[in-house]
Amino acid sequence: MNRKYNNKNTLCALKKRINHKHCSLLPIVSPVFLMMVLTLNFGFFVNYQNTPLYVFAQTKETASNSSSSAPDNQLALSNLIKQGSPYYGKESAPITIIDFSDLQCPMCKRHVDNTEPQINSTYVQTGKVAYVFKHLPNRGFDSMPAALAAQCMNDQGKFWAFHSILYKNQGPIDSGWANSENLKKFALQVPGMDINQFNSCFEGKKYQGLVKSDVSLANSLGFTETPSFIIVNSDGSNPQKIEGPKPFPIFKTTIEKLGQ
Amino acid sequence: MANKQSLFKGLKDTIPLAFKIVYLSNPVLYIGISASVFAIFWAFFNIFDQLLFFSPILYFYIPDDAQIGFVITTMSAALLGIVVSMNVYVIRNAKIRLDKSLLSGSVLGIASSACASCSSIGFLIISTFGGAGIIATGFLTNYQIPLRLLSVGVLVWALYVVNNRSTKSCMVNQ
Repeated sequence: MNRKYNNKNTLCALKKRINHKHCSLLPIVSPVFLMMVLTLNFGFFVNYQNTPLYVFAQTKETASNSSSSAPDNQLALSNLIKQGSPYYGKESAPITIIDFSDLQCPMCKRHVDNTEPQINSTYVQTGKVAYVFKHLPNRGFDSMPAALAAQCMNDQGKFWAFHSILYKNQGPIDSGWANSENLKKFALQVPGMDINQFNSCFEGKKYQGLVKSDVSLANSLGFTETPSFIIVNSDGSNPQKIEGPKPFPIFKTTIEKLGQ
Repeated sequence: MANKQSLFKGLKDTIPLAFKIVYLSNPVLYIGISASVFAIFWAFFNIFDQLLFFSPILYFYIPDDAQIGFVITTMSAALLGIVVSMNVYVIRNAKIRLDKSLLSGSVLGIASSACASCSSIGFLIISTFGGAGIIATGFLTNYQIPLRLLSVGVLVWALYVVNNRSTKSCMVNQ
């Protein structure tokens, strides 16, 4: 059982390998190369972010119900409010952040827990930015009911309270935490809400059209993940795109660039 | 029980010896390969996990929800660096032939590590596979940590195999 190692043999093996330099490295090099290519490709997508959206906006038709055909107007704060999108901040804020999120998405929770409070305290509370929510329920089967329920809460001015409760109680995707029964229970936790009005709105799927138009808008803007953001001037001009739960310094850089 | 003890005792000797054989044979080459593979995969995993950003500014952060995942992916990247450089050593050493278990361990380790990190590209999967994609991406997201631990386990196994292969010819029974 006792084993020892013959170091002479080891050294011999080391010397002999010098004579076999031409052995194929393909099996090792190819997966590493593949990963490098994937990384570089992903780097391309990362670098593609924060680019002006004129090209997207001009070439792709938005599916919103708004009568305006000018894409920039779709993103104007006044139009977003008219469409019924939940928002907070002053209507006179010079810059608007439009947040496309899924209430089931863990990366959206990361944004809500880490970055949004910093945006709120630095820019929204100081009147520089208005923050608008758009629905992009694409992560699971319970995402659409969650979006409909949240939009129904907006009828009673309780969207942000409900939004906060949902993210605090977020569980694994489609595990049942956001099924219809639980959504009604979460709604009851919001003080001062009218449950009958909520049930009527939620069960009647009152805002299905609005949520679908939000999804179409997101698709027309080329968003492929949640959360995704557009930062625009209040008139909808000069849109800048951010995809993913980017940290606050990236938002800060983009907002300050826009404000110049 | 005695077999297990001898196995662990054997590993205790084998692993440091394998490291010495590989890294001391050509420190610049093999440490270089390990460092490069580690750096590439560390960056790859952290970009996919939305922790490392290059545009518009270079920025790296670790939010609370990402701490465990970050530790596991860093371990995976380090193991990948070691396993790849040891594989390169074994391939270059003609005395020791490469076998399927060694290669499959390494490739499976790389693939599972990469796969466990791909939940953030879920939309791509959903848009490609529809309802099945929703289920697949939900699974990848919900079981991200266990999948990553599994990938670390596969890499440890690959390391064990490559250690054995790189020291096998050196062992003599007394």
